[in-house]
Amino acid sequence: MRFDVDPWDPGYGTALDPDLVLAETAASVNLDVEVPAARWSAVVRPQVPAPSTVLFVDGVRRIDAHVWVRDGEARGGGNGGGGGFGATEGICASYAAGVVASAGQTARLSATEVRRGLFTSAGNATGVTTRTAQYPLRAAAPDGASDVLSLALQGQLAAVEDTAARHAREVIGESDDLLVVDGPLHGRGDLPRTVGLVKTHRATYLPGPQHTLVASLRAAERTPVFLIGTSWQRYSWYLRLPCPVGAPWAGVVRCEASGETTVEAVLGLATRTQVVLPRFASCEYKDARAPQNLYPIAGLERELRRRLGDQALLYRGLRAASVAS
Amino acid sequence: MAEAGAAGTAAASGQAPGRQVGRVLGTQDATPLSFWVAIQSGAYLQLDDVVVTARALPGEATVLHSGVVTDVRARHEGAQFASDVFLIEEGVLPAEIQEVAEISVTRVDPELYVPPRPGAPARRAGGDERDAALYFDTMERRVPMGLGRDGVPVYLNFDFLDGSRGAHISVSGISGVATKTSFALFLLYSIFQCGVLGGRAANTKALVFSVKGEDLLFLDRPNTRLDDVGRDSYARLGLPAGPFPSVGIYAPPLAGDLTGRPDVRERTDGVQAFWWTLAEFCEQELLPFAFADAEDDRQQYTMVVAQVASMLRRSGSPAGTDGAWRVDTATLRTFADLVDLVTDKVTAEDTRAQWAGPVTGAGTVNAFLRRLRSAARALARLVRADLPAEAGRRVSTEGQQVTVVDLHNLPERAQRFVVGLLLRAETERKEAAGPGSLLFTMIDELNKYAPREGDSPIKQTLLDIAERGRSLGIILIGAQQTASEVERRVVGMSSIKVVGRLDPAEAGRSEYGFLPVTQRQRATIAKPGTMFVSQPELPVPLAVEFPFPAWATRPAEAGPAPSVGSGAVGTAGRTTGRSAGRSGSRTGGPGRQDPFAGIPHDPPPF
Repeated sequence: MRFDVDPWDPGYGTALDPDLVLAETAASVNLDVEVPAARWSAVVRPQVPAPSTVLFVDGVRRIDAHVWVRDGEARGGGNGGGGGFGATEGICASYAAGVVASAGQTARLSATEVRRGLFTSAGNATGVTTRTAQYPLRAAAPDGASDVLSLALQGQLAAVEDTAARHAREVIGESDDLLVVDGPLHGRGDLPRTVGLVKTHRATYLPGPQHTLVASLRAAERTPVFLIGTSWQRYSWYLRLPCPVGAPWAGVVRCEASGETTVEAVLGLATRTQVVLPRFASCEYKDARAPQNLYPIAGLERELRRRLGDQALLYRGLRAASVAS
Repeated sequence: MAEAGAAGTAAASGQAPGRQVGRVLGTQDATPLSFWVAIQSGAYLQLDDVVVTARALPGEATVLHSGVVTDVRARHEGAQFASDVFLIEEGVLPAEIQEVAEISVTRVDPELYVPPRPGAPARRAGGDERDAALYFDTMERRVPMGLGRDGVPVYLNFDFLDGSRGAHISVSGISGVATKTSFALFLLYSIFQCGVLGGRAANTKALVFSVKGEDLLFLDRPNTRLDDVGRDSYARLGLPAGPFPSVGIYAPPLAGDLTGRPDVRERTDGVQAFWWTLAEFCEQELLPFAFADAEDDRQQYTMVVAQVASMLRRSGSPAGTDGAWRVDTATLRTFADLVDLVTDKVTAEDTRAQWAGPVTGAGTVNAFLRRLRSAARALARLVRADLPAEAGRRVSTEGQQVTVVDLHNLPERAQRFVVGLLLRAETERKEAAGPGSLLFTMIDELNKYAPREGDSPIKQTLLDIAERGRSLGIILIGAQQTASEVERRVVGMSSIKVVGRLDPAEAGRSEYGFLPVTQRQRATIAKPGTMFVSQPELPVPLAVEFPFPAWATRPAEAGPAPSVGSGAVGTAGRTTGRSAGRSGSRTGGPGRQDPFAGIPHDPPPF
């Protein structure tokens, strides 16, 4: 028997979610954007100059504490211990986003922003101030869904990431730069020269013949561009980053570009990712999600996590504040 | 290094306070005695820089922590693997370079031993703050001992040198590159010239034993290779750049010569031959000094030494005017005569009991004779009565400020004989004269004279000086390659400890425990001209660069004699010669230069 070990750390699963491999997405996929579906083949890396500046945007989030917001006075006997409370769940979270600008021989961190918040749907909630930090109220809509708080946090994080990306574009960026956003593009489709970088493949967008092409890509090769239409439209392509030969989808990332742009612009972007991204691909002993977790993004996440502050300290502060409240 | 020069000038001109260079960091514990500073971008700290930080205490005065940089480090923050440096330099991985400096606290003022607070701004100390950090402000009598790394003078507290609160200097370092002798001489020069002696200047003397070549025979001549940079260093130290003004030079008489000419090759004038007459040798019972281990109790023959010395004195009398000594019918004119006489006396049956002691066996007598004969070769030139009597042959520190005794032509046994006798004589003279004046005694290769193992009259004399010299006014300036081989008490009694370039194995020994780890490492790569000086008040030794000698160290460097006549013996009180080489000083820029750079292929003999 011959077998290969998936390069990702087991804790992260694999880049290819096995349960979903066969579950083809309901999204409409247009394969004929670059070449007709019948003539799909690997696109070799062209010889074009790399952009002078590459910007990487990413954010991190951390739940500092789960809290219960009391919805009124204690029922029953005061300190007697028999009393119960009505309470609503909430989370106190810290989240941050930032930009790494890789220009020439230097990679610099900039535009980092750390925010915190109390996410809850409780109507009587206010912000929390502790000795070490402030958690302003970020109200979540009480729609009963179990992950409403997490989604609210994710929404806020996306907003910070968006701010960071726009800031990077305005302050650092140059006319020929490339902005790489970690994860799907989502609402940032209006930013020019921007690609989303998806590391984990949860859905199969390509039908059989084209799907097999992905596994046969070599380093820095990509599939032709295709158009995905769900609730919003975006262009996409698969790209293989350099990594040891092994698992079929090892080192494969899916890039996204805004569906609003022209095909020429998208093809230009796809070409650029072939030139740029392999350079930043991480090496397996340095990153648990190599090579898809790019060096600048890993560095950025490490730094952002550090800037979130010490979790134990923040937790203690919240405990102290709850007693005092 | 333009910035370094600028910093040096700013500090030199006495501007205060210094510029902020960073903040006390909080990832390492800050203690009242040591803390770390993160250096802000655009600033730097180097080893030996002086740094100050303040902490306001509730209800108390603001506490100032001053210290010296004893370690500096730079690292990539954000890097996890050694190979990340390539990614960072290629612009792939974001990371920041952060430099941090360890500050060893020298002073907490007022004395409230609280740690500095992380986050507190730290600034480079200049002017008064630097003086306070290094205790220069409390030194009432201070001697410039060189320039710090910042180009500003560094001082020695004279209280710890003249016996008031301490005495003696111990200089250690590898031969050839440690510049031990040069530094010791510079210190002497500085002490004599900086004015710290005040009214005692006239009576303060130095006795210098020269054991390595004829380097020290030109102390009274200006050094023609001293350039403007060197003169500028002297000017910054507040010292004239010139030779020693008053020097007397002694050398042993030339072997096989019966006119009493001194045995020196490089210098033809102004050197006086010295020797002891046989009459002195017998009358003063100097025989024990001819033996290396005469006071070692494990040796049987030492009894014979004492007995023979006593007999030579009691049974003889002076003969003639040249110092001959008559015992019975024999007249002793050379050391060989004396050896023959003693041999006869201790071996003949009828005299042996009287001369060697009543119960002394033949084996012990033979052991004594064997040693006496081997001493005879070494001492023949020094103990004699075959040269015309001459008043100047006695070595004396009376007539001049610095007395150089050249021993390099003598065998080791004879060197010890001379050093031992001269030290004893000067000790006795000082005991009689009282502590009003000072005598600096400079001895190189101290491990020969006061070795850790064994015992000898010379070692006893040195121990006596080390222990009582402070009250007698005799200051020992001892130099040795390895302090670990010198008698512990001699090194231990030194208030001022100086280290030049050290052998790495030697640097690890406990004798250098006063050096912090980084300074020990630095001492193994120290350049000629750089010394680490530890003095009692300062918990951290200071790195010092002393200037190139302003006096000649060889004939090729010697300028014309600065005054009428030569550096001859007996020209007491000559104080001319200060003006030599003074013109053109202060022309050198503030840039830091290797003071010894002018002679890269031809270093002065140290």
